[in-house]
Amino acid sequence: MSRTKRVVAAAAVAFLAVGVTACGGNKDNSASGSKGAVIVGTIDSVSSLDPAGAYDYGSWEVIDSVYQKVMRFPTGGTKPEPDAAKSCAFTDPKTYACTLQSGLQFSNGDKLTSASVKFSFDRMLKIADPNGPSSLFGTLESTEAKGADQVIFHLKSADSTFPSVLATDAGAIVDEKTFPADKLLAGTKVIGSGPYTLDKYTAKQQASFKVNAKYSGPVKAQNSQFVLQYFAEASALKAAVKDGTVNAAFRTLSPTDTADLKKTQGVKVVEGTGTEKRYFVFHAKVKPSDQKAVRQAVAQVIDREGIAKDAYNGTVAPLYSMVGNGIDGHTDAFKDKYGAPDKAKAAAILQAAGITAPVALSYTWTPSHYGAAAADEATAIKRQLDASGLFNVKLSSTEWQQYQKDEKAGSYASYMIGWFPDLPDADNDVSPFLSKSPFLGTGYDNPAIQALLVKEQGSNDPKVRNEAFAEIQKIVAEDAPIIPVWQGKQTAVVRDGVTGVDKALDPTMFRFYELSTGK
Amino acid sequence: MSKQSGSLRRYILTRIALAIPMVLILLVLVFVLMRVAPGDPISASQGGKLNAAELAARRHAAGFDAPMYQQFWDYLKSVVTLNFGTTFSDHRQVRDIIIENGGATLTLTFGALVFASVIGIPVGLLAGRLRDSTIDVAGRLFGILSYAVPVIVAAPMLMLAFGATSGQASPLVQLNVPTQTHILIVDAMIVGDWDAVGDIANHLVLPSIALGLLIVGVFIRMIRINLIQSLQGDYIEAARARGVKETAVVGRHAFRNAMVPVITVLGLQVAMLLSGAVLTERIFTWPGIGRQLIDYINQRDYVAVQGIVTVFALVVVVISMLIDFINALIDPRVRY
Repeated sequence: MSRTKRVVAAAAVAFLAVGVTACGGNKDNSASGSKGAVIVGTIDSVSSLDPAGAYDYGSWEVIDSVYQKVMRFPTGGTKPEPDAAKSCAFTDPKTYACTLQSGLQFSNGDKLTSASVKFSFDRMLKIADPNGPSSLFGTLESTEAKGADQVIFHLKSADSTFPSVLATDAGAIVDEKTFPADKLLAGTKVIGSGPYTLDKYTAKQQASFKVNAKYSGPVKAQNSQFVLQYFAEASALKAAVKDGTVNAAFRTLSPTDTADLKKTQGVKVVEGTGTEKRYFVFHAKVKPSDQKAVRQAVAQVIDREGIAKDAYNGTVAPLYSMVGNGIDGHTDAFKDKYGAPDKAKAAAILQAAGITAPVALSYTWTPSHYGAAAADEATAIKRQLDASGLFNVKLSSTEWQQYQKDEKAGSYASYMIGWFPDLPDADNDVSPFLSKSPFLGTGYDNPAIQALLVKEQGSNDPKVRNEAFAEIQKIVAEDAPIIPVWQGKQTAVVRDGVTGVDKALDPTMFRFYELSTGK
Repeated sequence: MSKQSGSLRRYILTRIALAIPMVLILLVLVFVLMRVAPGDPISASQGGKLNAAELAARRHAAGFDAPMYQQFWDYLKSVVTLNFGTTFSDHRQVRDIIIENGGATLTLTFGALVFASVIGIPVGLLAGRLRDSTIDVAGRLFGILSYAVPVIVAAPMLMLAFGATSGQASPLVQLNVPTQTHILIVDAMIVGDWDAVGDIANHLVLPSIALGLLIVGVFIRMIRINLIQSLQGDYIEAARARGVKETAVVGRHAFRNAMVPVITVLGLQVAMLLSGAVLTERIFTWPGIGRQLIDYINQRDYVAVQGIVTVFALVVVVISMLIDFINALIDPRVRY
């Protein structure tokens, strides 16, 4: 036998031997080389490690750990508090001034000064990356650095949400000596001043974090290292939790996967308040949705509890307001107006408007954006409306790319839309839907609501703002251009031995620093 | 220059010249298909957040509303320079994606080939040697079945049947193997992390079988038919007449000749293996190029999809050309 043949034969035998061994079962499936790190699995993906190019949850998970911001949301809180700043305040409605803490450093030893903050905001607005967060700072006119520790934000118009926007990961501070001023940083060697450094990053596979020894801020990390393991499919993530390849899983397991994992020994499913919301949207210029009575009758019939139970196994909570549960300014406006689902009341609404039942109504949803349970939700809605005898619902579905084009163009009489707010402020739950230029097609423009939006955006007084939000929600419940259906719960799954998940499940951002394996 | 070497050179040049329009047609197809599908990377990622005016502004900033000829010209330039551009959805160089994930696809493809060889060659030999026996019928049936069942069916079935018990249902997670060659198993060997080697190999078995099933049928049928033909050859009769042992007749003489067309066919299976690898990697969460490709298709990332598909296509074109050259070198009839 020639040398080449012997090598080929040896390789084949080795492969078979490995295969035979492998098929025998691998008892210890823990990630090789983990050495006590908390390994969190997710199906999120990262679009950019540079804050100027990131406007998605997956990227912000990384950015939140690696960078500091001027302000931050405390664990469990929705009111921004200083992070790199010592203090911040509005000096007038269009000027927000901050004083930075002294002695701040980036992980490479470079000093973090007011110049770093100015540089970070200037470059983010200058780059205006198509995938980036610059649109969140639409009211920011300029950033001024005064001395080493004074930063002054000049706004184009009064914006009471500005401190909250600063506290999102769009406001991350970068090292001016590392990041280019006019383009995104290439590569994965990112430098921040946050609680962790990004030790190793392999796109779509893994991000490994280690505690940043130079960090000085309010976060007290409970682990010295954590790893984010990226999965393509929820089914693979579930399998990894089951056999212990990952210690924890966050975002996003389906309701059926969650139910299955609840029965798995050594695994704990923890639920917390989520921010995802789902709406039943009408296009108020498309028949029959152009008639207020039709919209009101739907709002009167919809059984949110039933949808949460039938379509989502109780993993979502009924929502009766545009403003999310737990957010300042929330009122149960739809519950107040319509009460419990009532066919007789709905029939009376239609009758009073001279509309003959059953009303033919088309409802469109997309199977390629809101997860597998969206089909169940659409079916549950049709079943409820048809069962009332007042509607004859025709369901149709369209792929996401075409769907969003069509809904914006007013092609659907009614449709499903989901929303992940960027910040825990009531404004972020209403203005994207009800402003003059909403992100979705509603055909609904109410001057009274526009005036109330201007009022709440221009005031820093919580009382004034909450009154405005209460009035907006009341009008929305009356006109019913959009019917809130549910608000998601956040679900994390952890293996025995992992602590801190209750605190980590924060509505604003998952707090990886709260997790610990106790090793 | 001899007449023989002149004809070979002419053949090679003609083959390369013919490959150019083939590649061009392919590039046009990839480009058009991506544009025909509704949506773009901006609406895929930001469509649920931004209004129509902001989306249009971002599309303009990204150049997605540029004239088609301009976009196609940029694409052609990126292919010619082998740069392939930067992805929109996560700002990665397509070249880096190929380098970083190519090793995993290569490993999987190699695993599939080993599986196909280890199963296909002995079964093909037995089926050919014991023609019309039960073994032959069973071998042929297995070959047809494995060839007919697509990866999209075979892979999930394997996963369901063996994934949980063998620990291969969960994806490969390796934390501390430093990247050197971008071939994970080799990198683990270099640093002597044998736990990692075992874990990687363990996770390689099921995907290799799923992908290998795609070509094992071809192996069985090709070896069987060629062995039958070889065994009917005069030189086999002569060998037997000289008293050469039957095992040597089959193993040394018939098998060797039966393998020549298999090697040719093997090259042609590369396209099938690559397309199968896309699905296999997705189902088993194997960190190769195929898994990346599906992610980028979902994100409508034109640059990434065009780049990856183009690289796949170029690999197939180059391999098929190499096989043609080898055939032409071995068999002079091919070049005339």
